[in-house]
Amino acid sequence: MLEIKNLQASINNKSILKGLNLVIKPGELHAIMGPNGSGKSTLANVLSGKNGYEISGELNFKGEDLKKISIEERAQKGIFLAFQYPLEIPGVNTNIFLKTSLNSIRKSKGEKELDTLAFLKLIKEKSSELGIDEKILSRQLNVGFSGGEKKKNEILQMKILDPSFSILDETDSGLDIDALKIIANGVNSSRNNKKSFLVITHYQRLLEYIKPDFVHVLSDGKIVKTGCGELAEELEKTGYKQLN
Amino acid sequence: MQNFEINSDQIDKIKKITAEEKSFRIKNLELFKATGFPNKRLEDWKFSDFENIVSRNFEELNIKKASSEINKIDLLKDFDHNHILLVNGNFHSSNFEHEEKSKIKISSCDKSIDYKISKNPLICLNHALAENGYSLEIDKNYKLNKVLVVYNIFTKDMKNKILNNKNKIKVNENAELHVIEYTVNESKSKFINNVYENISLEKNSKLKNISVQCNESDGFFHKFLKNKLSLNSDYSNLIFSSGLKFNKLDIECDLLEESCKCNILSALFLKKNEHQEIKTLINHLAPNCISNQKIKNVLSSESKGVYQGKIYVKDVAQKTNAYQLSKALLIDDNAEFNAKPELEIYADDVKCSHGSSSGNIDEESLHYLMTRGLNRNDSIKLLIKGFLNDVIEFIKNPKIKKFIESKLEKQINGR
Repeated sequence: MLEIKNLQASINNKSILKGLNLVIKPGELHAIMGPNGSGKSTLANVLSGKNGYEISGELNFKGEDLKKISIEERAQKGIFLAFQYPLEIPGVNTNIFLKTSLNSIRKSKGEKELDTLAFLKLIKEKSSELGIDEKILSRQLNVGFSGGEKKKNEILQMKILDPSFSILDETDSGLDIDALKIIANGVNSSRNNKKSFLVITHYQRLLEYIKPDFVHVLSDGKIVKTGCGELAEELEKTGYKQLN
Repeated sequence: MQNFEINSDQIDKIKKITAEEKSFRIKNLELFKATGFPNKRLEDWKFSDFENIVSRNFEELNIKKASSEINKIDLLKDFDHNHILLVNGNFHSSNFEHEEKSKIKISSCDKSIDYKISKNPLICLNHALAENGYSLEIDKNYKLNKVLVVYNIFTKDMKNKILNNKNKIKVNENAELHVIEYTVNESKSKFINNVYENISLEKNSKLKNISVQCNESDGFFHKFLKNKLSLNSDYSNLIFSSGLKFNKLDIECDLLEESCKCNILSALFLKKNEHQEIKTLINHLAPNCISNQKIKNVLSSESKGVYQGKIYVKDVAQKTNAYQLSKALLIDDNAEFNAKPELEIYADDVKCSHGSSSGNIDEESLHYLMTRGLNRNDSIKLLIKGFLNDVIEFIKNPKIKKFIESKLEKQINGR
């Protein structure tokens, strides 16, 4: 699914990722943990195609060189990023945005665009599955949403767009336990042997609900340790300092 | 441009004119001739040097009458409406099929001359030469069933013409009128349209106005609007006039008695070399009135947007609530936005606020939308629509709202 070799990324001449290697196979869920400033969000941004980074190294997604693919094409090819801080877009109705987004992805795959009725049916189904109040969808995109609503909205978008590779950038931060369960449920119910996930988090807490196949520790732009689920528990006790 | 000369014998050609009217016209003509077209040395024209704009765009100008005939007009089918047809500013015909006809008085041009001397040379020119337009009066207690569309049609033979028109709307006690001013342009050449509009709202009356263009135009428009609001009356003006080479709307509102409401909102999308100015003066002359101004401009390529907004609060106008906001979204480095907010307050128990901001498209927001599969262009369009949306939200009738939305969308897509 995703193959990263010796990835280096810098922004404004500041080097952030310093030779990162990572292979994610279909059906796998990887968790990346690490202290503040270790490069976790940069990795998510680089994968989504955000402008402003100097990048070198190999970045392959389903056999294609990601560096040559634009942001929207990445989305159309099945990459989804749940933002750490979802943006507020005033004046844009959430439902209309979701429909535009879904249809542009369907169109790129050569699928038929959904009409309003079919779309609303899909929204209803997915939001009730996640236990999300549909009412927030008739509001302006993320405007006046609480922190939890914003994150839930990201997961709902993930459910609707149905990507093959999802990156969750600290989706768990700032959530209460109920919201955390909704997020976890959104991920768990999407897991199958074709879809992969990269879950970026500070805390082990989320990983009590989402069982990762692998846990990586990112420190100073490199993966310094890889293990299975127990590694996260260990980190919770010892902290990141022990690793350096 | 060669000198634009108007002889006073032009005024002699005006038929059925009283001696008083004649002297009023001649006086105004002299005033215009003393200054000529306004230029940037006049404070009110600081950002819109009309003299310069005229000399750059016209080799000659004439005040010859334009035709008031038209072969055919496609009326809007989007919603039921009454209509007035103006052809080159001249009153052509009206149709109030949805109304009790006895409640509505309509005629061509208002002949009154009780106007104060203006410092604006274009107003003087209008007072000197305007012969045509429309005058509309709505009877006491009558609320129109359907909206009135004023079709403002400019025909093909408009080259180098400068047209002066005068309109008048009076909404009597407890009456209500909704107007859509719809400009239809067939002229392929440049012309100037200079309008004076006189609006009075009597006690408890309501007037809602929307202005929008059917298509792009090479016309240069100046319109002065004088509004007088009486007790508890409610005036709103929504401006969606994009696609014009030059447009200056100069709006003056006198809130004469208590509890008046005045709303001026605008959502503009300007492109190419379009230049549009909205200038307002809201005179709070009585207590407990509310005024609200929200001006939103999206500026692309080499367009220029101007907003000069002034709120004046007289000493007796306590409990005034006046709000003013202008926001510009610049999507091209060569676009320009000028804002000059002014407050002049002589009462001590008032709520007045003003704000102005201009900025580029937010790259972070663009990135967010693009990660959801939208290309850059569609994402920008979505952000523009979002930016202008809160003005459209003000329209309550769903059919009219849809109509305006589609007009605006067309402008944005054609950028």
